[in-house]
Amino acid sequence: MIATQPFDDNPCRPRHFKPPPCAPIVPEGPARKALEACRTRLFVTSVVFACVFAVVAFRIVEVVMFEGSGTAQSHMPRFRIPAPPAPARADIVDRNGKLLATTLDSPSVYANPKQILDPADATRKLVKVFPSLRSADVYAKLTSEKSFVYVKRHLTPREQYEANQLGIPGLQFQHEERRVYPDATLTAHVVGYTGIDNSGFAGIERGLDDTLKDRREPLQLSLDLGIQYVLREELQRVIDDFTAKGAAGLIMDVNTGEVLSMVSLPDFDPNHPGAPDPDHPTINLADRMFNRNTLGVYELGSIFKIFTVAMALDSGTSTIASTYDASHPINIGRFTISDYHGKHRVLSVPEILMYSSNIGAAKMAVAAGGQRQREFLARIGLLKPPKIEMSEAAAPHFPAKWREVNVMTIAFGHGISVTPLSFASAAAALVNGGVLRQATLVKQPPGYVPQGQHVISAKTSEQMCKLMRLVVEHGTGTQAAAPGYVVGGKTGTADKVSGRHYADRKLLSSFVGIFPINDPKYLLLTMVDEPHPNKQTHGYATAGWTVAPATSRIIQRIAPLLGVQPVDESAPEIQRALMVESLQGKRLEAY
Amino acid sequence: MIKLGTLFWLALVSTTGFAMYGVKYQVQALEDELARTKRATIAEEHEIRVLDAEWAYLTRPETLEEMNRRFQSLTPIETKQLHMSAADIPLRAPAPSPPVETPTDAAAEAPPPVSMLPVTPAVPEKPVAAPLAAKPAPVKVVAKPSVPHRAKSLDDLIAQIVASR
Repeated sequence: MIATQPFDDNPCRPRHFKPPPCAPIVPEGPARKALEACRTRLFVTSVVFACVFAVVAFRIVEVVMFEGSGTAQSHMPRFRIPAPPAPARADIVDRNGKLLATTLDSPSVYANPKQILDPADATRKLVKVFPSLRSADVYAKLTSEKSFVYVKRHLTPREQYEANQLGIPGLQFQHEERRVYPDATLTAHVVGYTGIDNSGFAGIERGLDDTLKDRREPLQLSLDLGIQYVLREELQRVIDDFTAKGAAGLIMDVNTGEVLSMVSLPDFDPNHPGAPDPDHPTINLADRMFNRNTLGVYELGSIFKIFTVAMALDSGTSTIASTYDASHPINIGRFTISDYHGKHRVLSVPEILMYSSNIGAAKMAVAAGGQRQREFLARIGLLKPPKIEMSEAAAPHFPAKWREVNVMTIAFGHGISVTPLSFASAAAALVNGGVLRQATLVKQPPGYVPQGQHVISAKTSEQMCKLMRLVVEHGTGTQAAAPGYVVGGKTGTADKVSGRHYADRKLLSSFVGIFPINDPKYLLLTMVDEPHPNKQTHGYATAGWTVAPATSRIIQRIAPLLGVQPVDESAPEIQRALMVESLQGKRLEAY
Repeated sequence: MIKLGTLFWLALVSTTGFAMYGVKYQVQALEDELARTKRATIAEEHEIRVLDAEWAYLTRPETLEEMNRRFQSLTPIETKQLHMSAADIPLRAPAPSPPVETPTDAAAEAPPPVSMLPVTPAVPEKPVAAPLAAKPAPVKVVAKPSVPHRAKSLDDLIAQIVASR
């Protein structure tokens, strides 16, 4: 600081003359105060600046050294890095991994009519690319007041390319996905189908809709496509041979409850659920969409006798050696119960099943009592809707009041209607050692045996196997025999109800087959609706002539696929294992 | 002195500046590549889905049946064909591997199967199943490296390779 000096009043002092320095003059008074204030201000300002710079320096160090990897998202790349596509609806595959349902990209083209400059020209161009569209509709859409109209949904890649090439302003594409079923009709009823927005409408697609939406890896069903094909083909053959209205069939693993195949005919194409069937245009849509296995309830007729016999044997009201007089029809109320394959004599329990005696079964049930019968049917799950991973499950029909006539008719499968699926689960429990397991369409891990409920004793189960073998060996089901595979089963031919009465010539023929019955593994239930007799069957349309031969063919075709080893049925150890004690030594009257 | 310092700092600033731009362009190039690859992957995934669906469509049981009818005429296995398991089927006895004959002749002249062999024919060291081939020729292939004897098993093949080295 240069101290102020008293001015030299010499006028001749040169301009560049600097006065010599001298000792600073300590200001006094008000000048000193001003100086002090100056110093303080400078100090405060410099401290503030130093702090700010320190903060900036600190932040730089922090950013460079500690946050290097974490700030990657904050900068803007030159191009948008595409995000992985949103998880599509999970695929559905069969137990061998074959694709049953998948989701493919299929964009939709939409328009903003407010941006379309020349609707007439655009319409002309669009109709040329999409010949399925009607030009009047397209023109109406393009001139509407809305700002969003779909021109066409679910394009193929080629259509998308061509539509894009048109270069019409105001035309946009929307990313959409579409469910594709490569096997079309084959698994239609089981897998089901989805609507245009990919939400499940039927079958597994609906039953497991949430699961399919959430998961990414494919859902593996217990179905086997090869077996499904065999079953469908053979059922179609039965329908064609007997000009039947429809047919249903299912194959179940009796030890795990897994459904390996489920076919209901007529069926539909899940890729075009509403479209008419090109081969059979007369069959109405509702009939084709109807899953007879889980939605249909039927009076299944004589195959129900296996439950009557199992109930009687398990509760001890009958033994295998019990006999019932079936020589005369039973008259009760306005009903007469008679035998179709009448023997007109006293029949033992095995014979009642073998010859399918209605009289014998009715008497057996009466001997056991209605209470016991109802309890038994409830225990094996026949009095409630079947449980499976499908939304379609129909409740059974059974009398609210369990009168004696009901006891008798239910003994041979009339007066109670159940779904084929419920029947199959219950029948599986009779032969697998007496454990009722829930039917499932989802593949179980190998070796896993789901928890079940003991419904009959293992001994009764073994007896049931032997009795069902007798039916195929000597009874009404001889045509179901598949040499080498030791088939056991039961035929059932029911008169269909039409209105309030039983229609005479409308039958529902069914067969439940189990193979190999000496070590039960698989159950096959086949059912044909309104078969008509043909020349080859000598005027019969009963189960023994319709579905029993089909069962034999199916088993011979699928057993190798299932790895069931054929055996010599006349081998002494198998004969001994299937021997029915009470009949030992007795001559069996072959039907 | 001051000038030297200034030069140093100027050099440092320009070096770091260039380095930074270099890195920036590198990163951009990498990002472009990443975006391209991701787009390609997504496209590829879509394509795989389409191909999977197409494969499933082309291998439908009914298509296979029709193709079989036209080209192969295979029939379903009959029960009588299944009375034995695969383990019961006797395999052909190992070829006697004669030193003079060509491999095809050797295969044609293989002695008839006389016993049930285990599933994998081991190295033909014990020709118990070939009594006709009295000469117990123990892997003579070594002698003929120019015409390699067709290997009967993986072990055999490895032995051949080892011998040829």
